[in-house]
Amino acid sequence: MSFVDLKNIRVSYDGKNNILKELNLSMEKGELISLLGPSGCGKTTTLRVIAGLIEPNDGTFTVGDSNLTKVPVHKRNFGMVFQSYALFPHLTVRENVGFGLKLRKEKKEVIEKKVQAILEATDLSHYAERYPKQLSGGQRQRVALARALVIEPQLLLLDEPLSNLDAKLRISMRIEIKRIQRKLGITTVFVTHDQEECFSISDKVAVMNNGVIEQYDSPEEIYKNPKTEFVARFIGFENFFALTKQDTHTYTTSDGTLIETVHSAGRQQTTGTIRPDDILLSAHDQEIPSNSLAGTIRVRTFLGKSYQYEVETSIGKLLVNDVQVPGYQVGDKVFVVIPKEKLILV
Amino acid sequence: MSKKIPYLILAPGLILLVFFLLIPLVSVIWPTFYNGTLSFDSYISFFKDTYNFGIFIRTIRVSIIVTVMCIILGVPTAYFIAGTSAKWRGLLMALTLFPMLTNSVIRSFAWINLLGQNGVVNKLLASIGIISKPLTLLYTEFSIIIGSIYLFLPILIITLVGVMENINPEIMEAAETLGASRIKAFIKVVLPLSIPGIIVGSILVFTGTLTAYTTPQLLGGNRNMMLSTFLYQNAMTLGNWEDASVIALIMIVTTLIVMKGFNLIANRIDKRGEQDA
Repeated sequence: MSFVDLKNIRVSYDGKNNILKELNLSMEKGELISLLGPSGCGKTTTLRVIAGLIEPNDGTFTVGDSNLTKVPVHKRNFGMVFQSYALFPHLTVRENVGFGLKLRKEKKEVIEKKVQAILEATDLSHYAERYPKQLSGGQRQRVALARALVIEPQLLLLDEPLSNLDAKLRISMRIEIKRIQRKLGITTVFVTHDQEECFSISDKVAVMNNGVIEQYDSPEEIYKNPKTEFVARFIGFENFFALTKQDTHTYTTSDGTLIETVHSAGRQQTTGTIRPDDILLSAHDQEIPSNSLAGTIRVRTFLGKSYQYEVETSIGKLLVNDVQVPGYQVGDKVFVVIPKEKLILV
Repeated sequence: MSKKIPYLILAPGLILLVFFLLIPLVSVIWPTFYNGTLSFDSYISFFKDTYNFGIFIRTIRVSIIVTVMCIILGVPTAYFIAGTSAKWRGLLMALTLFPMLTNSVIRSFAWINLLGQNGVVNKLLASIGIISKPLTLLYTEFSIIIGSIYLFLPILIITLVGVMENINPEIMEAAETLGASRIKAFIKVVLPLSIPGIIVGSILVFTGTLTAYTTPQLLGGNRNMMLSTFLYQNAMTLGNWEDASVIALIMIVTTLIVMKGFNLIANRIDKRGEQDA
C-alpha cells in the first residue's frame, strides 16, 4: 500500500454527470506528483477531494494508515496553496503565516519562532508587517506557500500556484517550490495545465481527461511514450494516422506503405503518432523499403528556430518542423521519413 | 477660469440646500440658544427634567438594542444569502426587500394584530397552555423594539450581502485547511472582513430607529415615548415649538456622535490598506 491512496473516487454534483469517474491514484512519501490536464478535466476537483473541500460520492482516501474520506477539512492537517492565494486581507504577512499555528494553540514563543523561520526561508522577513494588498504577486505567492508550510502539513496541495505570475517569476518560483519540497521531504500534489512546468517539477505526472487519469508515469515516460491519443495530443504529438498490424514491429498505413516501429501494439488496428520535430524531410527519395512517404508542401510557417510545413501525403496532412535553410517552398515535392524509434503507437 | 466651473456646477444644489434646508434649520435651532442672551439653559433644563431624560435614555436604549439584534440576526442571514447561487440570491434578496414595499403604517398595524391582548401571539400561547391570562406585549418598549427590528433588518441584510458576496470563498477554505472549523473560520475571517458592511448597516439601523416616528407612535403608545414621538407631541399637540426644536437638535447631535463613533470603531478594526503599496 502506498502512503497516499485514492481508490475508486467518484464525484458528481448533480447525480447524473460524473466529474470524476472511478479515479485511482497513489503516491509514495516525499514524492511530488502533478495532475496535468486541460481545464474541466477534473484535476482541481481531485485536489479538492484530497483537501476535503469536496466529499466524494464513492471511493476512499487514505494517508498512511488512516482513512480520511469523511474527515473534515480542518482536521486533515494539509497545507494548501490556492490559485488566488486566498490570503487574509485583514491580517499582516506575519499574522497570515501564524494563522494555522495560532489555531493549534501552540505557545506564543513557539509560534513566533516558527513563523520567523519560515519567513526567512521564503525571503519574506522584510515584509512581515505588511498587508497582502501591499505585496507584489510573487510575494503573495510566497506568503501563501509559507502559510501552508508552517503548519508542517502531512500533504502539500498546490492549485495552479504559478498561473498568476509572469513567465520569468514562474520559472524561479517553481525551482524554489521544488527546492523547499525536497528539503522538507513533504509529499506534494501539484495541479497545473502547463506541460513544461509540470515536467520540470514532478516526480510523477497524472495526465487527466474527462474525470479519469489517462496515464500516470514519470515525466520522461509520458514525454517519450504516451499511452493514449489524448495524452499524446496534450504533450505535443500532432500527427496521427491509422496503422494495420502485419507483424510484431511491422505495420502498414492506409495506402499500404510499410512502417516499422520499435514499439508494438496488441491490437490489429492501431494509431501511429509522431511529433512534428521528429519527422525528417528530404527532397530526394531515400530509397529505403519502409517509413517513407511522398508528399507536397502545402503551407509554410516560420517559427523562429525552425519552419513548420504542412505536408500533404497519401495518409493525410502531416505537420513537420524542419530547421534546414533555406528550406522548402509551397508546392515542392518532398519525401517524409518517419524514424522508427520516434513513432509511437497509441 | 476652468477651476471655477466645478463650483458653478455645484451652485444650483448648494443654493437649494441653503434656502430649503440650512436656513429653516438654523431658524428653528437658533432661538433655543438665543433669547436676548446666548445660553444653553433650554438644553440644561431639558436634561434636568427626569421625564425628558427618561425619554432620551429610552430612545438610545431602544436604538442600541435594535441595532445589536439586527446585527445578530442579520449577519448569519446575509452570509447565507451571499453564499447561495446567483439565482437563489436574487430570490432571497427580493423576499428580504418585500416587506419594505409596504407602508410602515400597515406594517405596524400587522404587529398590533399580532401582539394585542387578543392578538395571535397571546391566543397561541394560551391555547397551548403556557399562559393563563394574556401578556401585555403591545404598547411596551418590547413592541417598539420588535417593530423596529422588523422595519430595519432588511436594510442591514442588504448592505451586508453586498459586502459578503465580494469576499473570495477561497479565503474561507484557506482558513479551513489551516485548521479552522466552519464557525471559527467565519468568526476569524468573514466577520472581520464584513466590518465595513456591519458599520454602514448599523449606522442606517441606529439612525433609522432613532428617528422613526410611525412605529413608536403606533406600537409604543403614549407611555413609551421616544424622542421622535415626543417631538411631534410638543410641536403639534402642545404647540411648544421651542421644546420641539430642542429635541430636534438633540436628535441631530446624537446621530452625528453615533456616526462618528462607528467610524472610529471601523478605523480601529479595519487597518488594512492604510498605507497602500
